[in-house]
Formats: sequence, C-alpha cells, structure tokens
Amino acid sequence: MVITPIHYIVVPLLAAFAIPLLVKIHKELPRIIPGLVMFYNIIISIVLMQQVNEFGYVSEVIAGWKAPWGINLIITPFSGFLVSLISFMGFVIWLYQYRFKKVIDVGELKSYGILQMMMITGAIGIIITGDIFNMFVFLEIVAITAISLTSFYRHRDGAEAGFKYLLIGGFSSTLILLAILLLYTQVGTLNMAEISERMHLVPQGMKATILVLFIIGFGIEAEMFPLNGWAPDAYSQAPGPTSAAFAGIVVKAGVYGLIRIIFTLFDIEGAFDFLIIAGLVTMIIAEFSALKQTNLKRMLAYSSIGQMGLVMIAFGIGTKAAVFAALFLMFNHAVIKSLLFMSGSILMYNSKDKTISTLSGMGKKLPFISLLFSLGAFAIVGLPPFSGFWSKLYVLTAAANQEMILLIGAILAVSIVEIVYYFRVVSKMYFAEETEHIAIFKPSINAKIAMGILGAIILIIGLYPDLITGYLHNAADMILDKASYIDFVLNSNAPVQ
Amino acid sequence: MNLFFIILLILFSSAILAFISNRIVRGSSGIIAFIGITAASILFFTRLSIGNTYSFTLGGIQMQFGLNSFTYLFAIIVLGLGVLASLYSIQYMKGKERLGYFYFNFVLTILGMVGIIFSQDFITFFIFWEIMTWSSYLIVIYNGYSSSKVGIKYMIFSALGAYAMLTAIVSIKGIYGTFMIKDAIAAGAFNFTDHFYIPILLLIGFAVKAALMPLHVWAPKSYSMSPMSFTAIFSGAMSKMGILGMGLVLTSIYSHASPEVSVYSLILKQVLGWLGGITAVMATIYALIQTDAKKLLAYSSIAQLGYIVVGLSTGTKLGVMAALFLAVVHAIFKGTLFMVAGAVERQAGTTDMTKVSGLIRKMPYTFFAALLSIIALAGVPPLGGFVGKWMLYESLITESNNYFLVIVVFFSSTAAFLYSYRFLFGLFLGQEEKETEHVKEAPLTMVIPMLILALLLIVTGLYPGILFEPIAHGMEYLGYSHVNWDMSVLTNIWGEQTNMSYIFSLIGIVFVVVFIFITLKGYKGTRNVGTKEISTSGEIPLEHENLTYQMDFFKPFERAAAPLYKRSMNKIWNDIGNALEAVFNFTRKIYTGNGQTYALFVIIFLVILLIFKDSLFAN
Repeated sequence: MVITPIHYIVVPLLAAFAIPLLVKIHKELPRIIPGLVMFYNIIISIVLMQQVNEFGYVSEVIAGWKAPWGINLIITPFSGFLVSLISFMGFVIWLYQYRFKKVIDVGELKSYGILQMMMITGAIGIIITGDIFNMFVFLEIVAITAISLTSFYRHRDGAEAGFKYLLIGGFSSTLILLAILLLYTQVGTLNMAEISERMHLVPQGMKATILVLFIIGFGIEAEMFPLNGWAPDAYSQAPGPTSAAFAGIVVKAGVYGLIRIIFTLFDIEGAFDFLIIAGLVTMIIAEFSALKQTNLKRMLAYSSIGQMGLVMIAFGIGTKAAVFAALFLMFNHAVIKSLLFMSGSILMYNSKDKTISTLSGMGKKLPFISLLFSLGAFAIVGLPPFSGFWSKLYVLTAAANQEMILLIGAILAVSIVEIVYYFRVVSKMYFAEETEHIAIFKPSINAKIAMGILGAIILIIGLYPDLITGYLHNAADMILDKASYIDFVLNSNAPVQ
Repeated sequence: MNLFFIILLILFSSAILAFISNRIVRGSSGIIAFIGITAASILFFTRLSIGNTYSFTLGGIQMQFGLNSFTYLFAIIVLGLGVLASLYSIQYMKGKERLGYFYFNFVLTILGMVGIIFSQDFITFFIFWEIMTWSSYLIVIYNGYSSSKVGIKYMIFSALGAYAMLTAIVSIKGIYGTFMIKDAIAAGAFNFTDHFYIPILLLIGFAVKAALMPLHVWAPKSYSMSPMSFTAIFSGAMSKMGILGMGLVLTSIYSHASPEVSVYSLILKQVLGWLGGITAVMATIYALIQTDAKKLLAYSSIAQLGYIVVGLSTGTKLGVMAALFLAVVHAIFKGTLFMVAGAVERQAGTTDMTKVSGLIRKMPYTFFAALLSIIALAGVPPLGGFVGKWMLYESLITESNNYFLVIVVFFSSTAAFLYSYRFLFGLFLGQEEKETEHVKEAPLTMVIPMLILALLLIVTGLYPGILFEPIAHGMEYLGYSHVNWDMSVLTNIWGEQTNMSYIFSLIGIVFVVVFIFITLKGYKGTRNVGTKEISTSGEIPLEHENLTYQMDFFKPFERAAAPLYKRSMNKIWNDIGNALEAVFNFTRKIYTGNGQTYALFVIIFLVILLIFKDSLFAN
C-alpha cells in the first residue's frame, strides 16, 4: 500500500465509524484504536516527510479532479512539519490518556475517543488541504469536537465553558464562511493557490474587508486578543488530555490558518504590522492576567494565550529568521505547554480545591510529576539550557535584526512576569509545608512515559537544537516562497500520487 | 573530545550523580560534589592553558570556548573557592534534607560560573549565566517556603539583569552581526557612538549580580537565607561574575572611546563611581545595625562590592588593578567569613549575635580564621585587604582627582571597622553564655577550608605580587599596556616604596610583643565573668534579661543615623511592585468570565477593524 496524504483523513474517519461497532467485540478497543490510528499518523508523517525532503512537496489529487477544479492535499515542508508535530502530539496525548479515568463508562469512553480523534483529524485537515472551503469544513470539525470535549464533564462549569466556546466559535465560523463567500465572488475559485494568483484582481477595499473577516475568524481559533475570551474557560474545564490537545494541536491549526491567509493568500503589507501589534497586546494582557490566577489550569491557559501572542509577533516580523523562530516557538509551545497541562492536571486532580495554594507538598507526594512540571516551567519561561530558550533567542535575534528594540524590551519584560507566576507554583510545590493530607491518585505508567517523552524532548532540543532547526529552516523558506507554492499546486508535474 | 567540554561534563555528571546518589546512600552527595569539583579544578589548572580556544556551532550560532588571562583570574576565584566550599559543605550540610537537590544545584552553579569563564561569545555566556542564576535561585529557596519570597525577588532582579543583557546581546548581533565578544569589542559595540544603550544595558545586567545600588535589594536576604556553604560561593565568587562582565565592558569603553564621545564615558565614570560609593556607604550603615551575623556579612558584601565598582569605574591602571585585587581578596575573606558564620550556626544553633557570645574558647580555630578575615575586611595592614584599599585610595587621589568620592569611600571604610568589631566581638568575645556551654569546635573538614583561606590572606598581604601577576596579565589582555607590579613592594607615583614584608614583620613583632605583655600582665588576677554577674547601678539583673554585649550595640549611632534608615530602596521597589500588581489586577478583569461580554468584544473588534481597514491594510 502506498502511503498518501489522504490517509491522514480517511483512516481516522473509518476508525471513528468503526469504534461504535468494535466496542461490541471488546470493551478495551475504544481505548486502543485511537492509539493505533495516532501511531499510523506518525508513520504517514515519517514517510511523507521523506518524500518532501526528496521532491520538495507531496500533493494528492482527490478523485482525479486536478487543481484548481478539485480538492487536493498538499504537503510542503511547512505543512508537513506542522502535521508531523500534530501527529506526534496526538500520539503522546493518547499515550497519556490511555488509562486516564479508569472508571469512565464505555459510552463516554467511546465518545471521548472518537471526539479526540476527530479533533486531531480536523486539525491535520486544516493544514494539508489546498482548498479554502475544505479548510472551513475541517475548521468546523475541530470547533464542534473541541466544544463537545470542553463540556465533556457534564457539570455546570463545563457546560458554561462549552457554551462560551460555542458562542464565540459560532462567530468564527460565520465570519470565515462570509469571507470565503466574498472571496469566491471576487476571484471565482476556492483553490488557495489560484486565489493567491488572482488576488491582484480584487479591489483594495474588498481585499481589506475579506482580510478583516478572515483575521477575526481565525484569530478566534488562534486566541488573538480580544477574541480569546473562550480560551481560559475552555482550557480549564476540558479534561486534562484535551487541554493538552488544545495547546498542542487546536491552536496550531488556528495559527496555521491565520498564517496561510496572511502569507499566501494576501499580499498586504499592513497585515504584518497588525500581527505584531495584535500579538503584543495578546501577549501582554494574557501574561498579566495569568499572574493573578488562582486556578492552575487557568493560569496555564492564559500563559498559552500569551505564547500564541509571541508566535504572532514572530510571524508579524515577517523575515525568514522570524518565521523560523515562530515555527520553533510553535514546536516548543506544543511540547512544553502540553507537558505542563498533562502534569498540571494530575497535580490539580490531587489538590483539594484545584487552586495553586493547595499544591503544597506535591514535590514530595508526586516527585516525578512535580519534577516534570518544573522542567516545563523552566523551559517555557525560556531559561537555558532548555528548548524554550532557543526559540525565545531566535525571536529576539530576528527582532533585533529589524532594530525593534522596544519590542524586545516588551517581550523580555513579559518574560519576567512569566517567571514570577511559574516559579511561584514551583516553589509552592516543593517548599511549602503540606497543609492537608489527601489521598494521592498516582498517575499510571503510560501517562508517566508520555510526559517523560516530552520532558526528554525539552532537554534534548535544549542541549542540541540542531536536531530540528534544519526542518524549521525548510519550513520557513516554504512559507515565504509563495510563488513555488502556487507552482506546486497548479502546475503539478512533479510526483502526483 | 575537547578539554573544555570534559571539564563541563565532569561538573555536569557530578551534579547529576549527586542528585541521584543521595537516594541510594544518604549523605554521599556532598562527597561526590567535592570530588567532581576537585577533579574539574585539577584538570583545569593542570591541562588547560591560557590561549586555548575551541569553536563549535550550535543551533546555527557560532560559539567559542576559550581561556584568556583576564577570565583566568576569575577561574582561580571560582574553582579555588568552589573546592574549599564544597569540602566545607560536606559536614555543614550533614543530616539536612534534600541533599541531592542542594548539591545538584551547588555543582550546577559552579558549572555555570566555569562556563561563563570559558565563554568567548555572548550566547554561551548568557546560557551559562542563566544556568548559574536559576540554580542559585533554587538554592536560595532551599530553606523552606518562608524563603520563597526572597527567592522570587532574587529571580526577578536576576531576570531583569539577564534580560537587559540579552537585549544588548541581540542588539549587538542585529547591528554588528556577531555574537563573539572579541569581535563586538573590536567593532566598537561598547563605545557609545550611536548605540549608547548597548553598554548601558550590559552594565545593568552585570550590576545586578554585583549587587550595585539600586539593584542590590535582593542581595541581603538571599545571601543570609541560603545555606552558608553556598553563600560562601554566592557572595565570594558569583558576585565576581558581575565584576568580570563590568570589567570587560568598562575597560573596552574607556580604552576605545573616541574623543567626541569621551564626555559620555566621563559621565559614566562619575555615575558608576558614585553608585559604587553610595552602595558602599549605605550597605555599611545597614550592616552596622544588624544583629544577625549572616545579615551583617551580607550587607558587608554589598559594601565591599561597592569598593570594587569604584575601582573599576576609575578606569585607570591602578584603579582597575585595585578593584581586581580587592575582588580576589574579597572572595577569600568573605568566603571565610560566611564559612565562619556557618560553623557558628551549626555548632551554636544560631548566628544571632545577641544570643551567642564568647565562643573564642570553644571554637579557637574558627576564631582565628574570623580574626584574619576581619582584619583583611577592615583593610588593616598587613593583610591582603590593606593592599587593595591602599591602591584604591591612591588611584582615587592621584589619578582621578575625585576627592569627594575618596571621602565617601573613606567614610564607609572607617564605618566598616564598627561592624567588623561587632561581628568579631559579638560572636567570639565577650562573656560566655550558659546557652553556649555545650558548643564545640567545628569538625575538621569545616575548619581546614577556613584556615586555608585565612592563610591565603596572610600570603596575599605579605606577597601581593602573587595576585598582581595574574591581574597584570589579565589587564594586559584587556588592553592596558605595561602593568607594573612587584612581588611585595607597593610603589606610589612619587616613587616612595612600601615594602609589605617589612610592614608585615613590623606588625608581627609588635603584635607578638603586645600579646606576650598582655598575657604576662593579665595572667594572674583575671577570672571569667558571666553576664549575670554584672550588676548595673546596684541593680541585680533578672534571669531572663538579655545582657549580652550585643544588646543595643551602637544604639547612639543608630539614633544618629535614623533618617538614613527611613528611606530604603526596598520600599521604592515594593511600591513599584504594588503598582504593577494593581495593573495586573486590572487587566485580569478584562476577562469577565461572561460569554456575552466576550461576544461583544468580538463584535467591537470586528467593527473597529472594518472601520480602519483601509488605513490598517493598505498595500
């Protein structure tokens, strides 16, 4: 069997349909099957990345309809990198959640497995599709599954968070759909490469309107301020693995959408400055808010928003070095923030009322988890020799190359705030006297392995960043090279499968 | 594999081993840390020579390790003190909790400093700087949750400094296209021509570690709250990393400043000199009123670092030499003094000078070490501290004509006598208290490092040339030409010569004669008097009354200097902190938690963008 990009979509979909049937055979199957699918995703990624290295890109024409007529899936170094990251994170998150909540009943387990898998599939779909309407469909899949997962625990807070997400997410879908409609009336095509080619035909005013609609629509998913009100609630109410998936996967897809629109579809200079400003505001407000949180998962959620702000800034700088830095940031954010959510939700689960102040003495009770949380905290604030340092350094270097000294100052000032609230948690965990004795729920071995893998990545990349910088450089080249993207898609004379 | 990496790897693996081994054999971490640091030092001093370099690329950035004669000087401080402090630490930390954690960070801190010394480019410099910072932060909070506030303060200020430095580093890269320290200096990154903020930001970064006003507020508590075996390094060696950086930046500013910008460097000289001077005076005044020996030493450290900065700020040959000499000597005596405080803490249970007194009979060797280091600290001949201060005064008087600064430094130096006296008297002299009757001399492995350091003070006093030699080489590396020095003779500009060995023997003879005289004269007819045996104005003191010599020590002075204590830098920083808290609280309220509000945000944002779309997204 030849592995092609369509496997990313088809295999999880088939598995999702099969799970309700397979559960009749054995109760454990709904737990195991998503794992197999995620593992298969990793295999696809490895094979496809090899092909990308060889040919420059891989594209798949679905049902014989060539671009621009049909939907096609394109794997470039950029989308390939993101898809591999998402596949990998998906597998690690599955590993983490495999024994999560043993008591959960089969019906819930079934729906949880399906939803989580579909969310990841949707995110991958957003990234690999070459068709903008198709992208919208996948975005909807992600939104619906994410909203369902947010309110997965059927209690009041979960439902409220889910509703907020639904409300804001509804705006997102509507505006993107509207933007696509307007765009279609202007250029008469839905293929992104062709849109990009014909973009100069669109009048300036209309172009800006469409861009605004897209920015708001994808900005909601990418947690841009002030569109990110849903995020803290959703992150804190969703089950632990889902929060990790939000940080590691969903946001990445949202940012991808934003970047694809701004970098490939439009050629408007002002959009980059807008990204810098929006990112800066997002980052500052989110990090400031994070400092005052009492709930650990909310704190992590705000921190996550802040990090996405930094990613937007890096993309907004727009040079190759900056885009490279932004991709590195995305990678680090996926790994580190997922680790923080994973370990954090175990810590939370064992604390009395889920606040930071009841984390006292966790260092003794859950030494491994606390150590990993601390590792994540050290890495995310950008202390060397952990991986977070390199991405921050590259962002700052990229900003310095453009002589944006105030931007550097702002990023670093915010980093100090970050240090304060993360280190507060760490010192609380290790050095505060245990206030109350609570029976400890020990994490299962597979969760420990999952977190251990992420921790090891943080250390290894921190000590030897060259392992991934090559891929990142290729990806960064690809984003900026709009012409060859169009060429790949429309004049696909290279290997089509 | 390269020797630089091997040394760092030895330190790193001994940190990891120390962390793990405590779970297997309790208490073994200390020995492993000691062995690791010693092995690294032996390798460093025997196999590595000045001028070795090794280049490599990491993360697409050209990096270089190397050793030059300037950093070699600091390597002596770090590794010498590191070996002794880790030896001392074995017994000092015995029986405490989380030894694995402690030694892991202890060795990592030393690794960080060694790395800083090796770095020839800004990125490795910054990486190791940060490793040093966070590992020392983890030790500051070692003593429980009460210290976590102190730790956070330390971390905030360190981060402030480090990020100021990072801003400068990436700006240098952006403007001059290099991360190499040497290339940046050669390209004129520090000479104020058009990017004046680069050297300023770097200096801020280094000033934090050197505890310079007004960035010193973290230091007193961080120094006194950490375990003493670590503070010996913290204050003795780590603060010198700030001096290392300042020395590097300042000398290149002074030596490369072109005539048209020399006015800036003149201003910088004055500002830094005065900051150093004020730091020295204020810290000395604060040291005076401390009743806890550890805090007294912490403030005294800050004051001493003030002198060093004054010396560096002059930029003259003699001034810089004095500063570097003082830096080494300060590392020695302050290392000893913190070890002494640790020994007293371990043996007597506290370092509160109103509770402990009269330990001289119980801990004679510790006292001897304390005495010598106090002499050096006060700058009394014939020990090393005198030589440094002598040169500092001379350079201020003869070369920079900064007479007011001389007065300030002189005042602080004189006031230092008071607290030195208080320290020595409070802990070791005076009447013995009942509570301290059980106290014994510290274990051998704690006494030996102290005595070695104390002997070094005698040697540096007698033959200051031992230190002048590496200092002179270091200064020549920095760009000073013809740095003259003598093994044990100080020469001033008028050609008068002061022979240290002559002074030493003279003072030695006087000391011995007086000692014999007093002993002979006072041998008979003296007896030990307990505190409770004194009656004041016919009143017999009650049992619970604290009558140690230290109660209300320097009370008149405190009263006289009261206005100075009112406005502390600490308060100003706290106010800034509170204002920021208010800002954070305000921003947090933007997220109301109300779905409708969020929806409204989206709509408002959409409308605003649509209104301004043409100005925002013009081609």
